[in-house]
Amino acid sequence: MIILIILKPKLPVVLDNFKLYLSEKSDLTEAAIDKILKEVRVESIQKGEFLLSAGDVCKHAFFTEKGLLRAFTVDESGKEHIIQFAPENWLISDRSSIYFNAPSDLFIEAIENSTVIFISTEFMGVVSEMSSKFRKANDRALQSHIRQLQHRINQLLGATAEERYLTFIQKYPDLLLRVPLWMIASYLGITPESLSRVRKDLAKKNFKS
Amino acid sequence: MATKNIEIIVNPPAPHFVGDGFRVHNFIPSGYHLDMQRMSPFIMLDYNSKFHFPPSNEPKGVGVHPHRGFETVTIAYKGKVAHHDSTGNTGVIGEGDVQWMTAASGILHKEYHEEEFSRTGGEFQMVQLWVNLPAKDKMSTPKYQGITNDQIQKFTLADNAGEIEVIAGEYQGLKGSASTFTKVNLMNAKLKKDGVANFSFPAHFNTALLVIEGAIEVNGKENVGTDKFALFETEGESFEIKASEDAVVLVLSGEPINEPIASHGPFVMNTKEELMEAFNDFNVGKFGYLED
Repeated sequence: MIILIILKPKLPVVLDNFKLYLSEKSDLTEAAIDKILKEVRVESIQKGEFLLSAGDVCKHAFFTEKGLLRAFTVDESGKEHIIQFAPENWLISDRSSIYFNAPSDLFIEAIENSTVIFISTEFMGVVSEMSSKFRKANDRALQSHIRQLQHRINQLLGATAEERYLTFIQKYPDLLLRVPLWMIASYLGITPESLSRVRKDLAKKNFKS
Repeated sequence: MATKNIEIIVNPPAPHFVGDGFRVHNFIPSGYHLDMQRMSPFIMLDYNSKFHFPPSNEPKGVGVHPHRGFETVTIAYKGKVAHHDSTGNTGVIGEGDVQWMTAASGILHKEYHEEEFSRTGGEFQMVQLWVNLPAKDKMSTPKYQGITNDQIQKFTLADNAGEIEVIAGEYQGLKGSASTFTKVNLMNAKLKKDGVANFSFPAHFNTALLVIEGAIEVNGKENVGTDKFALFETEGESFEIKASEDAVVLVLSGEPINEPIASHGPFVMNTKEELMEAFNDFNVGKFGYLED
């Protein structure tokens, strides 16, 4: 019996989004960026696969080149609480788990088939060495992340369901078409019924037939 | 008149599911050489080739989703689809019927296997085509044209060759009942074995055919089998199809809309800004509300 093994050439992965991210955040030349892109770790993650599980120490930040990731916790009753979505061009991670080398509370899961870039602390260090603009942009990103978290805590404590929804659609304009409503409700900290009510009320106000 | 020749014959691409009720091969825009500009005004064609759905108590289909900027045309060959939308319209597209929905400024709808069909299960075969709208009509009021099979104009071919169902446009002077915003010809050629039909469209119209049943020979030289899609050159006007066996062929030909296309998912507009506006309008309920 003859067994034929056909080796398929590995198709080059297009990293247009990550390339744009690097060129906007740094002052590196295109040649330097292309060199980085060749060395960066890229993975295809299938829908339903996990990039981080609670109890593990997070080692990377994940950049969504294509697809959609979510970070969530699971409470003692087994209920999921979505902390963040990461569609294309978003970074998602547990920065404190990386920094303190401590187990994470988060699960990070692909909810669409995704192309993800794994960014290690070393990678951040190397690129920061090469470009002070990148280092500053990264510091700013951390501050902006803290501001976002504060805003989110504040909304979860005091905003109405409609206010939370309106903030959500500003932040994630196309997610309503990509994720089930229960996930959006989970992110907003409201019940799916309450989200339906908000959307129905908005339609009453804004729909001119 | 010069002959319009086939440019390329495209095999059905690997199928994927839209929702859980439509198992489709996407020819436009992801098929080789079949992008939106090349095929304009036909910007999407999903073909559910003949597929047997087992009985199901829960009707399979696609949940609530929006459309803006174009028309959806559903042609049912086998099986039945029920639909509901945010303007309160509801109905069933039965075998042989066509639904021409002008989404235009925006509509929410859902499409499911009709309840009785779902309960018994059976063969399902459909085409869903998206026809682009020119910029000036993209924000016009949504509307429906439900065209049942008995309302479709039928041209009887000579020599007992079969008939042409004219959905839109014109065949040998017989006009289809669907009204369109730009020049669109859409017809089913139902041919008996060895039956011949001749077509003529302006050279620059984007023209193609999809073989739904049987097999045909085009211009006496090229064979096109079941489920295959043939794209014609934008030169020449006339072509002939001859059925190698009993055949049903969807023929489409339209005047290209030479405008920029900005599309994302269910919205097809002219600029990125209009796309962002579409997402926002959908998110804040300007398309109305429809329960899943």
